Amino acid sequence: MEFNLPENTTLIADTARRYLKDNYSFEIYRQHIEQQNHVDASRWLAMQELGWFGLPFAESSGGFGGTLLDVAMVVRELGAALCLDPYVDMVVAPGKLLEYIGSDASLAMLSDVIDGRAKLACALYDYHAGYQVLTPSMKLNGKRLSGQKNFVPDGGFADTLLTTALADGELVVLAVPVAACETTRHRALDGGRIANMLFDEVEITDGMILARGKKAEQALSMLLAYLQALDCARMYGAAGALYQRTLEYAKTRKQFGVAIGSFQIIQHYLVDMFIDLQQLESMLLMVAVKAESEDASRRERASTAAKAYYADKAVRIAQQAIQIHGGVGVTEELDIGHYFRLVTHCSLTHGDRAHHINRFAGLDEVHPGE
Amino acid sequence: MNLDFTREEQEFQQSIRDWMQTNVPDDIKRCSAVGEMTGKELQQKWERLLGGQGWLALTWPEQYGGPGWTATQRYIFDLERAMAGAPPTSPFGVAMVGPVLYTFGSQEQKDRWLPGIVSGGTLWCQGYSEPNAGSDLASLKTRAERKEDHYLVNGQKIWTTQAHWADMMFCLVRTDSTVKQQKGISFLLIDMKTPGIEVRPIYSIDGHHHLNEVYFTDVRVPLENLVGQEGMGWTIAKFLLTHERTTIAGVADSHHEISRLKKAVAEAPGFLDKSQARQRIAELEIELMALEYTNFRTVAATDEGKPFGPESSGLKIKGTELQQKVSQAMVELGGMMSLTWDNPETVGSDVFNRATRRYNFLRACTIYGGSNEIQKNVLAKMLLGL
Repeated sequence: MEFNLPENTTLIADTARRYLKDNYSFEIYRQHIEQQNHVDASRWLAMQELGWFGLPFAESSGGFGGTLLDVAMVVRELGAALCLDPYVDMVVAPGKLLEYIGSDASLAMLSDVIDGRAKLACALYDYHAGYQVLTPSMKLNGKRLSGQKNFVPDGGFADTLLTTALADGELVVLAVPVAACETTRHRALDGGRIANMLFDEVEITDGMILARGKKAEQALSMLLAYLQALDCARMYGAAGALYQRTLEYAKTRKQFGVAIGSFQIIQHYLVDMFIDLQQLESMLLMVAVKAESEDASRRERASTAAKAYYADKAVRIAQQAIQIHGGVGVTEELDIGHYFRLVTHCSLTHGDRAHHINRFAGLDEVHPGE
Repeated sequence: MNLDFTREEQEFQQSIRDWMQTNVPDDIKRCSAVGEMTGKELQQKWERLLGGQGWLALTWPEQYGGPGWTATQRYIFDLERAMAGAPPTSPFGVAMVGPVLYTFGSQEQKDRWLPGIVSGGTLWCQGYSEPNAGSDLASLKTRAERKEDHYLVNGQKIWTTQAHWADMMFCLVRTDSTVKQQKGISFLLIDMKTPGIEVRPIYSIDGHHHLNEVYFTDVRVPLENLVGQEGMGWTIAKFLLTHERTTIAGVADSHHEISRLKKAVAEAPGFLDKSQARQRIAELEIELMALEYTNFRTVAATDEGKPFGPESSGLKIKGTELQQKVSQAMVELGGMMSLTWDNPETVGSDVFNRATRRYNFLRACTIYGGSNEIQKNVLAKMLLGL
């Protein structure tokens, strides 16, 4: 085995970190969470110029052929910088879905994503079906689409949704204009924008159906593993930032005339955070390599274990960061509580801990080391 | 980045698995299947079998009898060993005094002691802890006075695992009480048959006899049994802490315990809530996966010749915590079936009937080898520099 990041991946991560350091800040983040539309046009363009829009997609699909690991390192940096720009929700997620579907029509849409012309979002969840993405509650009856989608991360400005419905029990993936839905937008836990979308007898033409049946199911399950890995990457970035800030705080904050880091209980809390962070890093590397595997059981075993683990340990790190900061840790003024919200947010997207524990329990046995 | 074993490593894994299938003695497999401890006789039979294969001193350089395997191969071996139901080998000879001898020992000492360790013929124990020197090991008081042609040793050791089995003890003794605590400690090899040594058993809460008190009254130890120079004992003890840590997490044995637990749940009588049990096991498996990949990073770094990174520092802490959690799950999932202690016949399930033995035994694993709290103190010093 070999755990060293490829040189190119390190370069991508370093570039992302520098870019965010120069162009993003906690102050910008705080303005952002108050805004309806999340994208600053110049930053969106800059991300495209950095090559991030083409990164997740194969060269044969018009992308730059980056691996999930490459994308995960960008997303880790976005998490570490508290950056809310909806790169995953509006580039990676819809783009990968289109790529996994792989039809002429979907690949044509993908090229608009890579060019930065598309404003797409994925609307996969509703509160009836919960995390059961393959059995949405929305129905396609003939040419009419009815139902609802919730928690749609549309950045506040998407114009087209990639969404799902059942047509006579068969899963279909559709591209539907946002204008055809009744939309209410609100702020999400992490400060990003999410929406409820109501579909009331929306007329669907054949061209709007991108995939159905097995093809649709396969594309979605591959997409989910990919996005679960990126949830972990984002949480890792945030948890790492929390650990660093908390360590620094423990060294400098004085009470009883000494740094609080001189107290054994604080030292042990910090060591626990450090050790958990090391294990989270191992799980991130593991899931970033395995979650884009063609082999469904390998993919699911990796993504579901990683997501369950993160929902436990990354959340614990975030809680402890607040505890060690004391009162100031629960204020809006400080970034600590905002990272905490980001981590909690990601622990609930694409399957929460209970969902993944349950799913893992149902997976086939493998011999250790395989 | 490559997270799979190479083809050669996979073939190696298969060959070890095949060997284990044929060669692990049936009485050992029986013990392990129900969760009983292997006694001295079985343990020694197993270690001599491995010694005969050249598979006992796995981390040693080939010139001293190591098999010349990579860290990855050693890891694979350990995994297949555990999955076959065979016990870990006793650490005192192969993992502790052996590396000390080939690093600090004289040629005579190497020639005299290493072959017995490599073959599994000589059993060793570790004389470190004392009644008033536990976590604060440097305060130890057992004295070794230098006489004409021997050291005269007086004092007491405690928590000495397998002292009642051992032929030899490696022992930290105070040879100078006028200098700074750490500087006055020396590393002595003591023959357990020497007059003046008394070994008294300490029974532990799993009902077994692993631990002992060892009393020294005017015990004469030949001068040539000093390893290194007088006063080097602390340096040698610290060296041991940096010796290979790729199996310290106990990943292999946790895999085996989880697989036993799964089997027991699958075969358990109807009152056990199997879906709840499977979820609890899934949580343990996921924690094991995180530990295992962290362990893999240490293994891969070792094969690349890199020093241990900070990621290996948590392995002991996380590994022992997980061993305790797995054994606790076994007890709790067994419910009433875990109430038995020395039942002559199975009540529902052998595995659950004996679950508390291992659970009780493993309460010690977060204490021995430097308690987890001491490990955290050491790590904190590194992280905080305070």
